[in-house]
Amino acid sequence: MKSKPRGRYAAVVMRNREVSPTSRVIVLERPRGFRDARPGQFVSIRACDGTEPLLRRPFSIMHCTGETLSLLVKVVGPGSAAIASRRPGDTIDLVGPLGGSSFPEPEGETAVFVAGGTGLAPLLFAARLWRRKRLLSAAHILYGAGNRSELLGDLIRKEFSTCTFATLDGSAGFHGDVVALCRDLVKKRRLPPGTLYSCGPRGMVRSLASSVGGAFRAHFTSLESIMACGVGACRGCTVPMRVDGGTVLRTVCSDGTVFRADDIAWEEWEE
Amino acid sequence: MSGAKGRGAKFSIGRVAFRNRVFLASGPAGYGTEYAGLIALNRLGGVVTKTITFEPRPGNPGRRLWETRAGLLNSIGLENVGAKVFFTEKVPSLIEAGAKPVVSLGAEEWKEYCALLDIAGDCEAVDAIELNCSCPNVERGGMAVGSDPGLLGKYIRRARSALGKKIVIAKLTPNVGDVAALAVAAEKAGADAITAINTVIGADFDPDSGEPVFRRVRAGLSGPAVLPVALAAVWKIACAVRIPVIGVGGISSVEDARKFFAAGASAVQVGTAIFYDPGLPERIVASLEREGIPRTIDDNESTRES
Repeated sequence: MKSKPRGRYAAVVMRNREVSPTSRVIVLERPRGFRDARPGQFVSIRACDGTEPLLRRPFSIMHCTGETLSLLVKVVGPGSAAIASRRPGDTIDLVGPLGGSSFPEPEGETAVFVAGGTGLAPLLFAARLWRRKRLLSAAHILYGAGNRSELLGDLIRKEFSTCTFATLDGSAGFHGDVVALCRDLVKKRRLPPGTLYSCGPRGMVRSLASSVGGAFRAHFTSLESIMACGVGACRGCTVPMRVDGGTVLRTVCSDGTVFRADDIAWEEWEE
Repeated sequence: MSGAKGRGAKFSIGRVAFRNRVFLASGPAGYGTEYAGLIALNRLGGVVTKTITFEPRPGNPGRRLWETRAGLLNSIGLENVGAKVFFTEKVPSLIEAGAKPVVSLGAEEWKEYCALLDIAGDCEAVDAIELNCSCPNVERGGMAVGSDPGLLGKYIRRARSALGKKIVIAKLTPNVGDVAALAVAAEKAGADAITAINTVIGADFDPDSGEPVFRRVRAGLSGPAVLPVALAAVWKIACAVRIPVIGVGGISSVEDARKFFAAGASAVQVGTAIFYDPGLPERIVASLEREGIPRTIDDNESTRES
């Protein structure tokens, strides 16, 4: 199949399954010509033909097989609600695959994954892909959510050998956020010092990088941002990175989404 | 009635011919080639690049984008690679992609502006320049030039003399009292065409914390919300000048583009809409090829301003 680097497609919904009261997994027919995606890449979706919302919304690719493309959609506003309501047979206007960088394969055979919210999607993609390529002997995931109903346990247990959960309200697993959980496990020497992969809200990733990232061989993170073009043209989603003692701005959409967490100039990154 | 007299799909400004009357607007277009696979640049009249300054600019820190009702606020701050890298690397790539480049230039100071014009003047591959006389997201320069007819005339005369045979298009801001007076000043100073409008100044606040969304508080509004503002400005300008007017601001459909021609524009630019509908510029081209250009104020005396 001849494929171009990226394109705009009307992708047909095959399945739309509720995985928590606020989240759904949408499985699409992989459009003809849609290039093989890598973990950390994303698609941008136009939720409706009108102006509410106006811009496309970025979604990390959760899986990309020969026939399907899967997304994890959490309803947070009118855009994601419109996308989440699509039924099998409906089409979704998507552009992709987008993103110039992706999670690098682990150097050792162990990897630790830390996710919050829909940050789970690219980590599921990486874990499944690397397990199939026999790159991983152990994949630990730490996943945090608000409460028990949002834990997405069934999705997670399928892809990882060891799963540990945290809830903010203490209704399941560790009582607290996922970063505190990670700190706790590192302190108790219950995590291997392999490569750390993370994705989630900016505050979570920043806190993870500063408080516990040093315990791992390396820490790669897929960043989330408000975006307009998705292709690096508008320069709207920049993040300050430390380069040669100075700071340069990189775009999350085209230079990322994946960066070395240690390279991010967190203190200069305002929102 | 399909199309006005002498207003077919083909379009030229002065001696520079364009494939058609549909362009990508400065800002959203970036350096053009980012849209590979999404927009057939070789099907468009041209690509107006993001504004280039003499030195590279990192742009504004902090939040840069904020969606509003039917609009988008931005505070990018003219981030760009600077003239040297732009003319040696970005222009050749754009031309190789089959696009007709229209280069947007901006400056905060006169000396820097003159140096920038000299570099642009030396680039033989580019024969169309759009002067950004109107960016709201920098401290000085753009807006000041764009709101003072005398200063605007001075900047355009300089461009006219430094750029030789290249055409000079003045892009105006709607954030002024009398946009037509500025258009007339630009025409008198030798501008070959007018582009209208740049973004409309806007702001937004967090209702709970009271914090402004942007560090600079004010930002530039684009998207469907500004369409009527742009149409009014284009109509006003088209009534006041004889040079072509290029309409831009809020085009979100083929019909929106046709409204600009009705208001007196000779060509259109599509900006924010390419973010969510990258196929729109090509659909406008197809529509103009199929149905011609709508009737305009030139053909309809009753809508002329008296």
